[in-house]
Amino acid sequence: MRSAITGIVAAMTTWVLFAAPSDLHAQRGRGGGQAAAGRGARTAAPYDLTGYWVAVVSEDWKYRMVTPPKGEYGGVPINPEGRKVADGWDPAKDEADSLQCKAYGAAGIMRLPGRLRFTWDNDNTLRIDADAGTQTRLLQFGTSPADGELTWQGRSAAQWDTAGGRGTRFAEGDLSGPGGFMKVVTTKMRPGYLRKNGVPYSSNTTMTEYFESHQGPNGERYLVVSTVIEDPQYLSQPYVTSANFKKLPDASGWNPTPCSAK
Amino acid sequence: MNTVNRARPLGPFLLTVVAMLVAVPAFAQIDLSGEWSVRNNEDPGQPPLGDYLGIPFNAAGRLRAETTAESIWGTPEYQCRPHSAPHVWRGVGGARIIKEIDPLTRGISAYHVQHWRSLDRIIYMDGRPHPPAWAPHTWTGFSTGKWVGNTLVVTTTHLKDGYLKRSGPQTSDMYTMTEYISRYGNYMTTFMIVDDPIYLDEPFIQSTTHELTPSLHVPIEPCTASFDENGGNDPHFVPHYLPNKNPYLTEWLETQKWIPAEAARGGLNTIYPGYQPNVTTRSTVAASKSAFSPNERITAQSPKDGQVHIMPVQRNVYLLIADGNNVAVSVGPEGVLMVDSGPAHMTEKLLAAINQLAKDVAGSQRPNQCLGVSCPSMPFGWSSVYMNGIIGSPAPTRPIRYIINTAVDLEHTGGNEKFAAVGFHPRGGGEDAMRIAHQNTFFRMSGASGDKPLLAPGAWANETYHRNTYKLSEYFNGEPVVVYHVPKAHTDGDSIVYFRHSEVIAAGDVFSTVRYPVIDLEKGGSLQGTIDALATILDLAVPESRSQGGTWIIPGHGRVSDTADVASYRNMLVMIRDRVQDLIKGGMTLQQVKAARPTLDFDGRYGSTTGPWTTDMFLEAVYRSLTAK
Repeated sequence: MRSAITGIVAAMTTWVLFAAPSDLHAQRGRGGGQAAAGRGARTAAPYDLTGYWVAVVSEDWKYRMVTPPKGEYGGVPINPEGRKVADGWDPAKDEADSLQCKAYGAAGIMRLPGRLRFTWDNDNTLRIDADAGTQTRLLQFGTSPADGELTWQGRSAAQWDTAGGRGTRFAEGDLSGPGGFMKVVTTKMRPGYLRKNGVPYSSNTTMTEYFESHQGPNGERYLVVSTVIEDPQYLSQPYVTSANFKKLPDASGWNPTPCSAK
Repeated sequence: MNTVNRARPLGPFLLTVVAMLVAVPAFAQIDLSGEWSVRNNEDPGQPPLGDYLGIPFNAAGRLRAETTAESIWGTPEYQCRPHSAPHVWRGVGGARIIKEIDPLTRGISAYHVQHWRSLDRIIYMDGRPHPPAWAPHTWTGFSTGKWVGNTLVVTTTHLKDGYLKRSGPQTSDMYTMTEYISRYGNYMTTFMIVDDPIYLDEPFIQSTTHELTPSLHVPIEPCTASFDENGGNDPHFVPHYLPNKNPYLTEWLETQKWIPAEAARGGLNTIYPGYQPNVTTRSTVAASKSAFSPNERITAQSPKDGQVHIMPVQRNVYLLIADGNNVAVSVGPEGVLMVDSGPAHMTEKLLAAINQLAKDVAGSQRPNQCLGVSCPSMPFGWSSVYMNGIIGSPAPTRPIRYIINTAVDLEHTGGNEKFAAVGFHPRGGGEDAMRIAHQNTFFRMSGASGDKPLLAPGAWANETYHRNTYKLSEYFNGEPVVVYHVPKAHTDGDSIVYFRHSEVIAAGDVFSTVRYPVIDLEKGGSLQGTIDALATILDLAVPESRSQGGTWIIPGHGRVSDTADVASYRNMLVMIRDRVQDLIKGGMTLQQVKAARPTLDFDGRYGSTTGPWTTDMFLEAVYRSLTAK
């Protein structure tokens, strides 16, 4: 009996030390993972992302709002192979080859100046429509997106992370506010451009995004999308950016336009 | 049975272990402490001068940026300033975040954020309120944080004027910064909202991503100020450009020709998709509004509410704000010295406040701290201090001994007669408090200059000086007090008062944080004299570190300030002087000068269209001062 209890203690301690944190984390925290998928990611959302958002281009303006010329790769950790490809950028050829959407793939679309529309396709699929290039991203919660052909928007696996790890008993303000973020990992992307001037990413690219919404001091709503793009083929290190959006009251200004290589 | 009994204690133990270990990971999951490298791949490198891309400037903000020279960094008051709060997250060297643990609760009572070119920035997590509006502003401001979910939301006020980026876009000193700090695994994103309605049509937003880098060392940038960097021998030289005459704003566009020149100047319409060249069908996005009114925030520094607000400044010196008028007082064992006596209608409340302050500071009974026969402060026998500390009562407070008037205005002299009467000065044959003022001020008080007396005889100065300085004949409350005459400034009889051990200067009306300086031409004031008076203050004052703190300066109206604030005010006046002078040289009349709006970028901060001192009145005084023969 004594050894049995000792064994139980050892087993529980081991479980707590090595297994419990991640499991608990998954249950409480990543609510949009397996656990939350059962009740639907839409229900588990810490806040409502649906509606219209407009890009606020206060950063990287010269690379985003206008198309920079060939050779302007500032800020991108492009490797020699990537540079070689980028130096061969030919927008006319892209148009002729029906590749005018190369800058509108998942790894590029979020930094283009435009508007986004978030809707739920179903309880576990969050849909993002972009008016720039008239593109659609589908963020799949719970189950891994099915493999298939490479597409501009690739396959996106999403999960909520609403872990409530405030962890102090000191007065730290309002702990009850909506918090958490949505993590999205996208693969299976058709090769495209990080920037409109032909800075490439390959089909081996993995893009991890963290979507988080904040309420500003005057009540306005912002969405920050922090993005880490890893491409062993064309990048020497992860390409890290964050795009900022502002919530719009309605669809005013929503203006779907076709892709343009220029 | 024995086995069961022996196992029993393990139950609580197990629960405790489980509880502890379950809680800890959740806490650690959002631990922000550590060394963080900037991993942001946006806006690489230092932006060139004149690059205002993405900044929702209004016209004032644009003018302020375009006329500010990069070499302003060379002025003695700015050489050691750290990066401004909005820029510092993007500064080189990364960031270190330290958490301060409350030893009692083990909760996080504060975070400390450090960068290469920064001060230790404290983010208070203990629920304390922000200071009042009349408290000093600093480069890092005053920050409080709270958790919203797993995001640390930080609100920062009390910031000095600075810059959004290194390319010249300036901020006012009225802005508020809100940051949302989130951790995603080993990445941390800081989303920042800079709300500065004086210079921006809507808040400027920016997000920066860092990566946890335990091996990172975040050193501090050394700094030794030397005005030799500032154009040679003139420590008060203020580099700047006249409007539309900065030749360096578009240099960078020569090599980046794809950027539309008008977009480089910033503006609300440039930051939303509708700006895209050749695309005109998109609607304009409505601007986000500021969360505060600048006018309310400015006037809050000098509340006209019929009350007296007290703020300890440094050592002996306190600021008393009496219905919007600043009175500096030295309070100590030798009594009270007042710099200015406030307006007459506030005399009773001021007196009550001073009496209470004197009682609290110099007359309160304190617990005995000295026991035993070897107590060093016990010269008259072992029992005296100990016993007196317990059974004694404090000595009565000493009265008001001195009143020093910085100028003749009724808002500075209105309480002279009353305070003099309740005060006492043992020397000179009189029993009233001594009233000290520059000779020219006395002339106006008494009518000795031939004009009508401005004050009743009991309010007149009974000690005057006519040289550059006047020293109290002996220490007061343990320190020298020196009065400096600053000629032809606000008037021709202005004084500033320097408390040499407290390191506080009472500036009177040559300095204000709530309005343009009142240049009273009829009483001998001038723009250049005001600028020179500010230079005198800067010559006397010494910053404590990193171009802030040290000598505190109490303005005639507004918040407690330091050298950088005075320099900012001086710089503003120099820029306005040179602009108006240039317009005068161009042959403009006063009306034409007003129409040219040479103060556009400062009007939102110091200007007014109503009240006793409007922007129009100030501009007219500047014009007349510069054209006087």
